[in-house]
This record gives sequence, C-alpha cells and structure tokens, in this order.
Amino acid sequence: MGLNLPFLTKTFMLALKGIPVSLEITILSLLFAVIPAYYMALARLYHIKILSQIISIFISFIRGTPIVIQILFIYSLLPSLINAAAVRTGSSFNIFNTHPVIYAVVVFSLHTSVMLSEVIRASISTVDNGQFDASYALGMKQSQAFRLIIMPQAVVEAVPNLGTLTVNLFKETSLSFLMTVQDITAIAKIEASYGYNYIEAYIDIFIIYLIMCSLIQLIFYIAERIITRK
Amino acid sequence: MRPFDPVYIVRYFYELVPFIGRTLQVMILSVICGTVCGALLAWARLSSSRTARSFSVVYVHIIRCTPSIVLLFIVYYGLPKLIESLTGIRTGYNGKLLYVTITLSLLFAAAMCELFRAAYSAVDTGQKDAAFCCGFTPFQTAYLIIIPQALTAAIPVFCNEVIALLKQGALAFTIGFIDLMGETDVIVARNYGAHGLEVYIALAVIYWGLSIIIEQIAGIFEQRTMRGKTFPDEKRSLKA
Repeated sequence: MGLNLPFLTKTFMLALKGIPVSLEITILSLLFAVIPAYYMALARLYHIKILSQIISIFISFIRGTPIVIQILFIYSLLPSLINAAAVRTGSSFNIFNTHPVIYAVVVFSLHTSVMLSEVIRASISTVDNGQFDASYALGMKQSQAFRLIIMPQAVVEAVPNLGTLTVNLFKETSLSFLMTVQDITAIAKIEASYGYNYIEAYIDIFIIYLIMCSLIQLIFYIAERIITRK
Repeated sequence: MRPFDPVYIVRYFYELVPFIGRTLQVMILSVICGTVCGALLAWARLSSSRTARSFSVVYVHIIRCTPSIVLLFIVYYGLPKLIESLTGIRTGYNGKLLYVTITLSLLFAAAMCELFRAAYSAVDTGQKDAAFCCGFTPFQTAYLIIIPQALTAAIPVFCNEVIALLKQGALAFTIGFIDLMGETDVIVARNYGAHGLEVYIALAVIYWGLSIIIEQIAGIFEQRTMRGKTFPDEKRSLKA
C-alpha cells in the first residue's frame, strides 16, 4: 500500500507529546463537571419545580446537538462576550491571549456535566427506596442517609458508566483541534499537511487513541474490581 | 465584532432547512447498513466459533476506542489507497457520501452488536429451551419468542444510538461533505466568519429538533411494544 514508514514513526513520536494535553482537558473537564452534575441530578431526582424543567431543557439541548456545534458555538461566543465585558469595565484584559485549552475545558465541562448528571441520576435511582426508609427509621437525617447509605451503593453502580463516559470524553477531545489546541490530532495533522501524508498521520492518531482508551478502560475495570470486592 | 442580530438566525435557518434531507439520507443509509453488520457481528459473538467470537470482540473494542473523526479520515484517505493497491483502480476522492456512510455504518455496527447481544442475553434461556421443545426452528424461536421480548428493552437504546449517529454525522464537514454542518461551514466561510454565532444557533436548533423528533418516534414504538406488559418499579421518586 506504500505507507511512508519513517514518517509514520516520526509523527508517532511527535504526536505522543499531545497526550498530556488531551489528558489535561479530560481530567479538568471531569473535575469541573462533578459538582454541577451532582446538583443537576439531585434537582431532577427531587422534581424541584422550574429548576428541574430548566435543567431538563439544558440536558436535552446538550444531548441533542453535536459536540462540534457546541465547540464552534462557544468558541465564537465566549471570546466576544468576555471581550465586550472587558471593554465595558475598562480593564486591560486581552482575551485574544487566552490559552485555547481554557476554551476546550469550558466546552467539555459543560458537555460532561450533562453526561455525568445522567450517570449520577441513573446510579442513585438504582439504589432501592427501602434503603432511605431504613435510614430514616434509624434516625438519620437526609444528608446523613445520602452520605452514609445511598452514595456508597450508588458509586459502585456508577463506575462502569463512568468508565464509558471518560473514554467517550477522551475521544471527543480529539475535536479540540478546532479550537487550535495542540493535542494529539492537531500535532499529527500539522505534520501530515507538509507532505500530504494524511493516512500515516491518522494511523498514528488511531494507534495512540487505541492504546490510551484501552488503558482508561483497564483502569476503570481494576477500580470496579477493587470496589466490588469489599 | 458585528452586533448580534437575531434576524439572521431565521434567515440562515431557512437556508439550512433544505439540507436536512442530505443529513437524514446519510443517517438512514448508515442505520440500515450498520444494523445488518451489527446483527452479523452479534451472531459471530454468540456463535461457537472461537475466531468469530474474538473477531467480534476485537472489532467492538477498536471502534469504542477510536474517535469518530479519526475513523472518518482513515476511511476517506485509506480506502481509496487500499482499493488502488489491490485492484489498481484509481477511485479518487469523489463520492464523499459513500465514505461518510461507510464510516458511520462501521460505528453503528459496533453499537448494534452490543445492543443485539444484550437484548438476546436478557431473554431467559428457559424460553429458548421451551421453544426448542415445541419444535420451533431457530428462526421461529428468534422471530416469535426472542425478538418480541427483547424489543421493549432495545428500543430506547436503539434510539440513543441513532441520535448519537446523527451527531457523529455532523463531523462529515471535515472532509468537505455538504450536509447541514457542511453547508453551515460554507455559509460561515462565505461571510468571512461574520454572523457565525447566528448560523450556529440556527444549526443547533435544527439538530435539537431532529433529536427530539427521533426520541418521540421511538417513544411511540416503545409504547406499542409495551402493550400487555407492566413494569412495577417504573416511576419512582426520592421524596420521602
């Protein structure tokens, strides 16, 4: 098939440098998403009026539109908004110096908070209602029941779904090249564009993602084993 | 920065609407091809042949680990090269519809394999034994016993996968395929980036609408298959 093997190995080594960037976006987005996701899940589980409806619409929007559009939307909206605010307040803050990783983290945090809230909601609703009744019968407060009884059981249920979510998120960070982030895809693509070696570059990206996603799955598999053994 | 003008949202909305057909065409073709391939993969997974089983497992694992955009580019750049080296025919890079459909079918097949496998395993083995004792052929067992029972659980998952496919289809603009997202890209380029926000809003509304319609259709089908079945633990609230 005539693959350019020296280019393949050279680009592979270069693209490896993109892994920390992709991991950084993934981990930061997950961390920022945890708290909003938790409260969004609770608001929907308790059927809080108005708030629950607003959150449902937000979730439906994020789940119903492609991540590409969310990226392009926020990438074209956010800088001008912040810039307008900076001009109005008269600060010398220059938005155009902002690191693109920040935009990526904003987009993926929004996206992940929705996905994570669905995971949390599903895992909490798998815990039997009788567990609540039992903890109230023991004189626990609602917060205590949540912390001591419900959450430990819900976490066990959530781990496999959390693994899928992390793998999907890591895969989606490959789109952050649209925001000029220098991740795995961007580095390989730039290398490819010098000599039109696209197929080799994409094989490199493919191999790196295959290894990384397999590793993430393995970590979650081990975590699941450790948690369920207790 | 030009001021935000909502009038443009409506204008671009009407400009984008004709391209829904293109997006749906790709989606429906991929759903059909993907479901067939997925059924074959699930059959391989449940078969007694070790090679067939491991092929199916490895395929699903690889697809789950590959970003859709990477698969799209590998198919778009790799397939013509592969065909050329095997047969000597230069296909060129025309027929983007074909490459997009192949990519999406590959993705959808993996999801369908998992769905069929889960649905099949969800039906009690006693049912299959009973059907066997009644003298049913494997086809009759599948058609009359397993599928009707597995369908109820499978429909919401199928719906989610179709919506995921619709969203992955939006990536086709990166190879220059003109569907909803591709046309948006063209409009933005034509305006030199002006009114980008308004176009993206119009596009997001269209995709959102499509997703909601797919969900509603799946909901109707789910209701139909649920006739005569009761789920005691369906509606729950945490309110104590």
